[in-house]
This record gives sequence, C-alpha cells and structure tokens, in this order.
Amino acid sequence: MNSEAREQGLLGGIRILDLADEKASFCTKLLADLGARVVKIEKPGGDESRRMGPFWENASHLEKSLSFFYNNTNKLGITLDLDRNRGREIFLELVKRNDIIVETFQPGYLSSLKLDFNFLKAVNRRLILVSITGFGQKGPRKDYKSCDLVASAYGGQMYVTGSPTSPPLKAYGEQSYYLASLFAAIGILLAIRKRSQTGSGEHVDISLQEAVTATLEHVMVRFFSEAIIAGRQGSLHWNHAFKIFACKDGFIHLTLFQNWETLVEWLDSEEMAEDLKDKKWNNEEYRQQHIEHVIEVVECWTKTHRVDELFELGQLMHFPWAPVLSPKDILNSAQLKARKFFVPLYHRENDTDLSYPQLPFRFSSRFISRKKRAPLPGQDNAKIYKGELGFSNREIQQLLHLNVI
Amino acid sequence: MEELRVLDLTRVAAGPYATRIMADFGAEVIKLQTKKIATGAESNESAYFRAWNRNKRSITLDLSYPEAKDLFLELTRISDVVVENFSPRVMQNWGLNYNNLKKIRPDLIMISMSAMGQTGPWKNFVAFGPTLQSLGGLSYLTSFSKDTPLGLGYAYADMIAGLYAVVAMLAALEYRQQTGCGQYIDLSEYEAVCTTIGPTLLDAFINPDNILPQGNSAEYIPAAPYGCYKCKGEERWCTVAVFSEDEWRSLCNVLGNPSRAEDERFSSLSNRKKNGLELDEWLGDWMAKRSAEEAVQLLQAAGIPAGVVQNAGDLAGDPHLHARNFFTALDGLDRDGTKTDTSPMKFIHHKNEPWRAAPSLGRDNYYVYRELLGLTEAEIKSYIERGIIA
Repeated sequence: MNSEAREQGLLGGIRILDLADEKASFCTKLLADLGARVVKIEKPGGDESRRMGPFWENASHLEKSLSFFYNNTNKLGITLDLDRNRGREIFLELVKRNDIIVETFQPGYLSSLKLDFNFLKAVNRRLILVSITGFGQKGPRKDYKSCDLVASAYGGQMYVTGSPTSPPLKAYGEQSYYLASLFAAIGILLAIRKRSQTGSGEHVDISLQEAVTATLEHVMVRFFSEAIIAGRQGSLHWNHAFKIFACKDGFIHLTLFQNWETLVEWLDSEEMAEDLKDKKWNNEEYRQQHIEHVIEVVECWTKTHRVDELFELGQLMHFPWAPVLSPKDILNSAQLKARKFFVPLYHRENDTDLSYPQLPFRFSSRFISRKKRAPLPGQDNAKIYKGELGFSNREIQQLLHLNVI
Repeated sequence: MEELRVLDLTRVAAGPYATRIMADFGAEVIKLQTKKIATGAESNESAYFRAWNRNKRSITLDLSYPEAKDLFLELTRISDVVVENFSPRVMQNWGLNYNNLKKIRPDLIMISMSAMGQTGPWKNFVAFGPTLQSLGGLSYLTSFSKDTPLGLGYAYADMIAGLYAVVAMLAALEYRQQTGCGQYIDLSEYEAVCTTIGPTLLDAFINPDNILPQGNSAEYIPAAPYGCYKCKGEERWCTVAVFSEDEWRSLCNVLGNPSRAEDERFSSLSNRKKNGLELDEWLGDWMAKRSAEEAVQLLQAAGIPAGVVQNAGDLAGDPHLHARNFFTALDGLDRDGTKTDTSPMKFIHHKNEPWRAAPSLGRDNYYVYRELLGLTEAEIKSYIERGIIA
C-alpha cells in the first residue's frame, strides 16, 4: 500500500520531468492534476511557450500568458540550461530521481547533447521518455517544423472543416496539441504498467500529424471503405444528421432525422410544416435526397423561436439538440456550475482569483485538494536544488550567476 | 494490458473508441450486443462499426430481460473494468449501478461516459458529438464570423471523450495496483470539449465580451504571416506560420524578395500583424503558381513551418505516414483486408500485432459463456431459446 498515492490523487508517487513547450505541456498538466509530481524545466528566463497568448490584460508578458497558466497547473517550476555542461550534469542527477521525461525538441537535439534515450536509459533503466514532435522521430518529414496550423493541415482536419465556399479552416485553439498530449498521457500510463511487469523503460514517439489523423472520425473510415474524399459542408454533418440553424437570438444545433414525425407535428402545430406533412417525407431516403428543402422549411421555423425555448422544449421531447454557446455562455452554464467544473485559483500578482476549468471526470475516491497555479520561472529552484539535490546556498548562487539556472 | 478484461456496453463512437485503444494494447474487450441494437452504426457489417471495434470480442446479451442480469453479474465477477455510455438512468434501471456491481467485484473499475455527467440539472439531456461541440464552444469559435458558426467537420468530441476515458481508466488501474482499491469514474463529454478551449475560457473570465471567432488568423499566436493559401490546382491549399525573425528573413529569400526583410512596415511581429493583408496577398500570388507540395517543400527546406492541406486520399497515400506504418490492413479473421489507422503512440520496445478485424455479432458467445463462465451447452441453449442470449 502506497500512502502517498492515497493522499495526492490516483497518480500519487509518480515523478515526471517536463521539458515540453506548448505542444505538450497539457500532457503533464493532465497527469499533475491527477496527482503525479511534475517538475517543469525551463531555460533560464522562462520557456518560449510563455509567449503564447491570450494574455492577461492583453499584454504580451512572460508571466501573463493564459495559455501557459492553463497548461501548467499543479506543476513545480525550475530553470536549467541543458546546453551548458553543468546544466546537463544537473539534469542527469534529476533523471536518477525522476524516471519519466516528456519532451518536444526537434528530433536529434537531445542526441546532440548526448541526452538521447539510449544514453538516458544507461543512467536510469526504468526511464520512460516521451517525445512529441510535429512528425515523429522517424520518416522523411521528421525534420519539418510544425505548429498547430501545420498539424491541422497535414493531419486532414482543415480539409473537412469550413464551408464549401471558404478556404479550409483550422479548428479553434491548439487542438493538435491537446490530442497529442492525451495520446502522450495514455502512452506514459501504458509504459508505467508495462514497466511494473518488466522493470524496464520505454521510448514513446508521438507525432502531431498522426494525433490529428487518428481522430478524424468518419473521414478515413469512408475513404478506406468507399473511396470517398470528404469535403467541407459547413455545419451540415457528413451524413446530414445534424446542422446549425439561426434562431431569433442566436444559433441552435439540430438533428434532422431523429423523431421525424414528432418534429413535423411540432412545426405543423405552429402552421410552419409546409409540405413536410406529406407522406413521402416520412421516407428517410427521400429526405436525404431533398435535404435542401428540409433545411429551408426548418430554418423558417427556427427563426421564429428563441434558442433556449427550442433547447428546453426539444430536450423534453428527447431531441438531442444544443445551443451554440460562446465562451461567456459556457462560464454561465447551469450544468457546469452545478458540477463545479470551474475552480478558482489565486494569483497573487493581481491579487485576484482566476476561474479554471477542471478535468472532465470525477472519481469515487476523494483526495486532499492541492490545486496550484502554474509556476513562475524558477519558482521552485530552491526546493529542488537545495531540498532534493542538496546544493548549498553558495552553489545555487554560483549557478544563478553563471546563468545555468 | 494482456491480463485485463473489459466489459464494453458502449455504442457508436466515443465509448467504442476508448475500448478500442484498450483492445489495441492487449486487454480482452468483450462487447455486449443484441440483434435489435446491431443496426446502423452498430451493425457489425458496417464500415463504421468495423473501424471502432477491431481487436474486440462480441457476445449477445439482452439486458432488458431480468434473467440477463445474473449473467451480467457473473461477467462482472471475472472482469476488471466496466465501460458504459448510456444516459444516467439506464444502468440504474437495470439494477447494474456501481454500488451493486462492486458487491460482486470489490476492486472493479467502472466508467460512465455520458454526455453531461451523472449529476446536474442537464444530466438526462441527450446529445451527440456534434451538438456537444456546439455546447462546448468549438462551433462558435471555429468560424470566420460569429454570425455563421461552422464548427469542425466531424464528431471530434467523441474522439476527445474516448481519449479522456482511457486516461481515466489507466489512472484508476494504476491506483488499484498501488492500493487495491476500485474506482467509479463519472466522465462528462460536455466538459471534455470545454477543456480543449481552456486558455480561451480563462480569457473569457477576464474579458467575457471580447472573444470572437478568428478564422485561420489567430490574434493571440505570436506568428505573422499565419494562414491558409490557395495553391495551383483544384482544392489545393497550404498553410504557413512565421514565428521568428529568422523565419521571416528565410521567407523573404524563398519568395525571391530578400530586401523585404529590411522593410520597416514588416520589421517586427507587431508590424507584420498590422500589415498582414499585404503579406497575405504577396504569399497568395506566390502560392498560386505552385503546387501545395512544391510550396511546402521549398518553405520547409528554408526552415519555415508550412503544411499541405491534405484530404483523405492524400493521407492514405502519404509517404511519411507510410514510412511510419501508420496505416495497416486488418488481419481478417472473417473479413476482407480493409485498411485502418494503427496508433499514434509508437513504442520502441512494443509492437501491437496482429490488428484483428472487428467480430461478427455474437462470435464469442461460446468462448465467453462456455469457457469463461462455465455454463453447460444446455444452459446456453435455453438462454438462446428465451431470447436472452440473442
């Protein structure tokens, strides 16, 4: 029985070094939120991912990146320059005590520092190294540079997103980073499980492109089974089952096939069903072939209603409908409030709380809450270098002076 | 996960994707089906079903019969994980909630993957991936204007929820390994979508009224030029993102105008953002004369992040994905060799092979009921005759 595990969360006792930039900071945030101890290692002065907006007060500032805040909760933060010999030595000391590393350097960079997997596993044979890059560690495009816009294009997400008359559209935010981070977290947990059986570590290779391609739902399935190349069709779902419609005061996402007869009765009760009462429309195939007409009639109807009205009445009748919510609406969602999805974390520099979204699950085991905001650069240098590696104050001063930490 | 057994009650996409990953890495996933339910996306004959249910076993059990409950409890006794994605009332109505199941198997891990979660005023609301993308802000934000929300062209939410479910199951299994304790996990797909716009939700907390869709040009990303450009040929496009000054100078060189790097109007990131339209036109003219592949190759050779907007056909023939064995044929036990994606998690000391085709309906009834539960032939026959195993 591991008592540390019991107190801190499901992953209490697991120790991770985080060398990742914005491409995979979310991986270790996820594991830290689940109780793992994560030490984020930044270059002296702060990691490049602190330049990612949006920013608090719209000011580009290394200590105000909301993206960094969100992706680094519950981590400890130290600074260390791996490019210097002394920095590298200190890193190897950390690797002896922390046997999981997450990194996002271009392939070959760690090798140039003699810190590649083969070298590191000689230092710690239980080491699990997870590398997340644009195109993975091998293959003709391994050295290509990437970012979410490149991964979304190469991965196939953009081609099917947008309207037929618009250019391909990137999914909002940094979806490829979240996908790759989720796969990386699964990879780590699988490798830990295997290690508990075999005693030896693993190197997990994750590509942003593949993370996107693996999660295209219908796109590759239809290509391999029917040679269909899915295109862009606005909000109309590939099989016409869903579409977004305008209301008086916003937009609602409707289904066009479920409970058809109930839908027609509803429209008819407001004298807006037009010819949809005609028997031929009960045939699903016929509706598929004349979907434009169905959309036209339904849109006339939705425009006479408010979003909330259709959402609530629709759900009462088991229509799986939903409003198109803005971020502001999400903060006010009654469902999310009831489930305490947002938790305030205190930010001393502005003497105020920020409201953070939590992970999307609740566990039956209860743990001591230890929610912490993302670290400031080098915030935990003393704790790690003095407390764990046993450096003296003088040594730490020297490392600071030499810009190693 | 060779020694793990998972009872899979899930349907369509989110749940089956989660249990597919468990099956891909060795868990014995037993999918419960009935003839009545096995239609549409859940028909064992459909390409959709076959994509999300490879490497699994299939048995038939109709839980609407009270007698089926005892069989289910026996299956629970020999399983590590139960996964379901019904509305919250369904398992309850069958008397198969976590509290009842854990009496049979004290260290059981059970995960409920519902749309809204097991609690809250909307807990019984029905939803699917696309509608959850709208509830979670992705449809509003993924667009060129707030007056025409577009959203993603596929049920992305289901994939995200599936991945979170695997993280939760594996974390609970690790905890069980350390403490011997089971776990109940209440996952909300709505919340899963919300987590993918985390930084924007923090921003909305500070500036609730200033968040607008941004198309392909993101104000908050420290890059310019940054966008998607039309190339030679029908529906051929590529993307470019210029972050650093080095990349900016390289871009000017590749586009044959090195002096532009000295131009005051583009001398910093903020100036390039300010005069972005002019840069977009310049890039657009250059791209229009080249194939997307050629443009990207030239840009990447100069160290500039750029990407071809690939469609399904491009992906299937992508030489890079091919070199990484990303797609493979399924080992067809009773099917043809349709291709499928393998896994974006590549382990240097582990190979997931073979990739077994999805099962036919009830293919593993004999193995599960006879070999695992030890029912007699006569008992099985009687269950079949009564329509319980059907």
